[in-house]
Parts: sequence; structure tokens; C-alpha cells
Amino acid sequence: MTKAEELRQKFVAMIKADGMITAPGCYDGLTATLISSAGFDCAYMTGAGTSIAKGFPDFGLMTMTEMVANAEVIANASNCPVICDADTGYGNELNMTRTVHEYERAGVTGIHIEDQGFPKKCGHLDDKEIIPIEDYVAKIRAAVAARRDPNFQIIARTDARAPLGFEEAVHRGNASLEAGADIVFLEAPQTMDELKAVPQQVKGPCLFNYVEGGKTPPIDLKTVASMGFKISILPGFLLRQAILSCEEILGELKSSGEPPNRYSHVSVRDMFNRFGANEWDKLRTESGPTKQAAE
Amino acid sequence: MSSTHPGARLREIMQNDMVVAPGCYDGITAKLIQAAGHHAAYMTGAGTSASLGYPDFGLITMTEMVDNAARITRSIDMPLICDADTGYGNELNVTRMIHEYERKGVGAIHMEDQGFPKKCGHLDDKEIISREEYFAKIRAAASARTSPDFVIIARTDSRAVIGFDEAVARCNGALEAGADVAFFEAAQTIEEVEKVPQLVKGPCLLNIVHRGKTPKVELSEAKAMGYKMAILPSLLYRNILGASEAILKELATGKMPTPMGDMTPREGFNKFGANEWDALRTAFRDPPKRDAAE
Repeated sequence: MTKAEELRQKFVAMIKADGMITAPGCYDGLTATLISSAGFDCAYMTGAGTSIAKGFPDFGLMTMTEMVANAEVIANASNCPVICDADTGYGNELNMTRTVHEYERAGVTGIHIEDQGFPKKCGHLDDKEIIPIEDYVAKIRAAVAARRDPNFQIIARTDARAPLGFEEAVHRGNASLEAGADIVFLEAPQTMDELKAVPQQVKGPCLFNYVEGGKTPPIDLKTVASMGFKISILPGFLLRQAILSCEEILGELKSSGEPPNRYSHVSVRDMFNRFGANEWDKLRTESGPTKQAAE
Repeated sequence: MSSTHPGARLREIMQNDMVVAPGCYDGITAKLIQAAGHHAAYMTGAGTSASLGYPDFGLITMTEMVDNAARITRSIDMPLICDADTGYGNELNVTRMIHEYERKGVGAIHMEDQGFPKKCGHLDDKEIISREEYFAKIRAAASARTSPDFVIIARTDSRAVIGFDEAVARCNGALEAGADVAFFEAAQTIEEVEKVPQLVKGPCLLNIVHRGKTPKVELSEAKAMGYKMAILPSLLYRNILGASEAILKELATGKMPTPMGDMTPREGFNKFGANEWDALRTAFRDPPKRDAAE
């Protein structure tokens, strides 16, 4: 069994078990390593973060190729299952098929795909365009049929709440489960009552999207778990941290002209160690000196 | 290497001649086009798709198209015209597409009014976006280029779906919106092919597709009709398909075939700059020492 297959199996077991998976968002090898090293059971690749890390806002400017390349970096850097944002699947059923092939090959555990029109907008922005339910269900079916590992997770995201209402969103969630999706991601419920109703009315595992400053009311994860959600993703958790702490320390350097040296107790070697320096160092000597060098 | 912008070179040729751009999809086909003495090459989306193992069904991403364009522009020293499909989304995606292609040294791109995901222009069931959306994308493309020399080619696929007059109107509207060349896709009769450069108020491109929707036109005829640009997307691609299938069939019979390109390995390398690269092996070494020689 490959590492990717093992992690998918582990993820499926966690979804079936009691409790909720917490998946902080990463957008590169650095943030993925930090999440995995901190002992989380799952990491989430954020599309917004991927976009921003390449210098673009989250306005549907990333191509499938760029998303998958980033997913592969993250899957390699981490030791836990990775769930990825796959936007709309990047086109029709044909594109959806290719998207699943590519993400699966990249070694991630699963992807979420949504019912927004193309090019898409962020779920917590306004003016979203929604595709008809028939088109959405067809895409989910295409995604399910395209996977080679039956444990590769197809997470059906619906953005229908704001434009079409809560009932339609729940209906779409259930329709996607019937079409073969593994998990439902009902994006941006608007009240605490709606949030509570999601795991009650959706007939399968549900995902909660924790967005600071988004459309869903503030809530703690313990409450989310008690409602019955099986996984919480925190897409912007590290991204916000990175942006704000970098801005702050850059501001200090700019205004005082001197580096604040806030973390000078951490040596260069300590930093490298977080990214496997000791393991790589072993390779320098493990196989013994080469014959040529010994002579 | 000429420092002229590849788009400026295309504009120069169009002044009193017709640009003839055979289609390529990799370094091999690009270099062969240049070696044959052509002045421009065309990167075919269908060929790029096929070389990645997919049919031309809109499965290739902008990143893959641009990567292929970069491979081609570094293989040749003449302008490259690229297929940019629908621009890969809305005006924002179009803006990024222009930035990416321009950065790779491409001279011109063509962008069309099909819906996304698109279909090949010579297949049926195409979906067409509204004039307003189309012209907005052309405006976005024209304003995104960093050099005014970069050539924007506006392609319309509306002939089959809406009709001849609409397609002509879209060509003229696109030119007004800032396009440099109009690409009337899949004219259905010789009369239509003839009328396009007469009715369109700017330089026109003719797409020559063997067994496509447009009747066969000789290059000299196209030039006489007033076309300023002719692309032959599938010329080499189909030739390679045919030649490869034939020799593989021969091999399957059990007898060792002689390739059509009957040459030594070195002769093959020479077509891809072997002599120029060989010169680098010695060019930077210390000159041989006198006393060592003595």
C-alpha cells in the first residue's frame, strides 16, 4: 500500500469513529510541515492561501495545474491526510474527471468540489453564481467514477445557501451523497440554528468550514463537534497568522531600521530541524564513504 | 537573436505580405518549421492537447498551454502565434493569460467567443457568449498587454451557431474593442472565405484545416483575397500521426522498417543545435599550455 492509500484508509476510519477531525489550512510545504508536526490528524489545502502565496487574490485565477502542483508539495511535506480545495472541478464532467485523476496522483486524501459557476468566487463573498442541480450531481458522479482508490474522498460542497436558501442547500447535500459523494460541505450557513440543522438533516458525514470574519456566526470547535460534524477545516488559520505577524514585524523593521530579533533564541539549525535536517543529515554518512572518497 | 518584439515582427510582415504560420506543439516541430525557412510558427491547442495525451476538449489548463509556449519560444527565433482558447475564464483570467503568454516571449494570441469549457472550432455544438461579454474580454486582453506590439487576434466561432452576418459584426466589433487581427472561424463556402476580408475592417486570419468546415484554399489564393495571416494548425501534427502509424504498422508485421527520416543519430542531433552546443565544450577552457605541449 502506498503512503497515500494508507492515509486515505486512516482518514476513512477517523470519519467512521467518534469525534471530529480538525484540519488547519496550509498553502505550502512549510505550513503543511508545521501542521503535521504539531500532531494534527489532517491538513487542508486552502485555495485562497494557494492563490495568495502565488501573489493573486482568491478570484479563480489559479489553474488546476497550479492547484495540483501545490497539493503534491503539501502531500509530500506532511505525514497526515490532506484534503484539498478543487473549486468547481475546473469545467464540465470531462475536466472534473481529469481533476480527480491529477489530485489522486498527487497523493492527497480527497478534494471538495462545488456548485458555483466558472470562474468562481470565494464562498464568503457576495454575487455567487450557482449551477443547476442536474449539472452539479453529474459532476459529483463524474468525480466518483474517476477515482481509482475507492477511499479517495469526494467532498461535495454546495454554495446554494445564500442564493437559493437553506432547504435547497440541504437538498443538494443529500443529492450529492446519493450521487456517491463521501462528505457534505454546506457552505456558509447563516444562523446558529441552520448550523445545528446541517448534521441533522444531511444524511451523511458533514464538514464545517471555520472562517474568521466570514458569513457563519463565531463558534467554538467543541460546540461544532457536539452538533455532529465529522470534520472542521480552518482554511485561513495560518494564512491570517502569517500575513498579520509578517506585517507587524516588517513594520517594526521599517520604522526602527533595526530587526526586532523577537525569535533570536531559535538557532538556524533549530529551524532546519523542523524540516527534517537530522533525517537528511543521516544520508550523508549512512551508506559509508564512497569508494572514490575513501581512496 | 533579434531584439525586436515578436509581435512587431508579425506586424511588419503583415504590412505587405501574408504571415504563414504552420502549427507546432513542441520543440521538434517548432525547430523544423524554422529550419524550413518559415517566418512564423503557430502553437496549436489541439496538438498541445494531443501531445499531453488528451483530445482537444478543453482539458488543457492555461498553465499547460503557457508552459508549452515557453518550450517553443526558446526553441526558435521567430514569432510564435498561440491558441489561447477562451482566455480561460472572465476578464480577470484573460488579463492573467496575456501576462503569462507575453512573459514567455509569444508574439500573438487568439482568443474566442466560445463558452467554457470550449470545443474545437470545427466540431459541432459550440456554445457562444454574448457580444458584450466577448468585447469586454477583448478590451481586457488589449489593456493587459505590456507592449503595444503584442498582437491580439480576436476569433469568433459564431458563424455556425448564429450566422455569417453576426460573425462579420463580431469581427468588426472586436477590432473596435482593440483587437489587431480578426479570425473568422470556419467559413462555410469559398464565397464566404472571399467575403470576410472585404467586409471586415482590419487584417484577417485564415485557419486552414484539412477536412474541416472550410473548403480547401491555396495560400496564394488566400493572399490574393486579402488575408494577412494564415495558420495551418494540424499540418505537421497529422503528418506525424500518419507517418508514425504507418511505420508502427510495418513493425507489427515483424519486419524491421526503415524510418522516413533516414539519417544517422548525429544528423538527427544536428537539427537541434548539436554543433552550437558542442562548441561550448571547449570554448571556455584555458588555452593549451605551451610547456605541456612541449
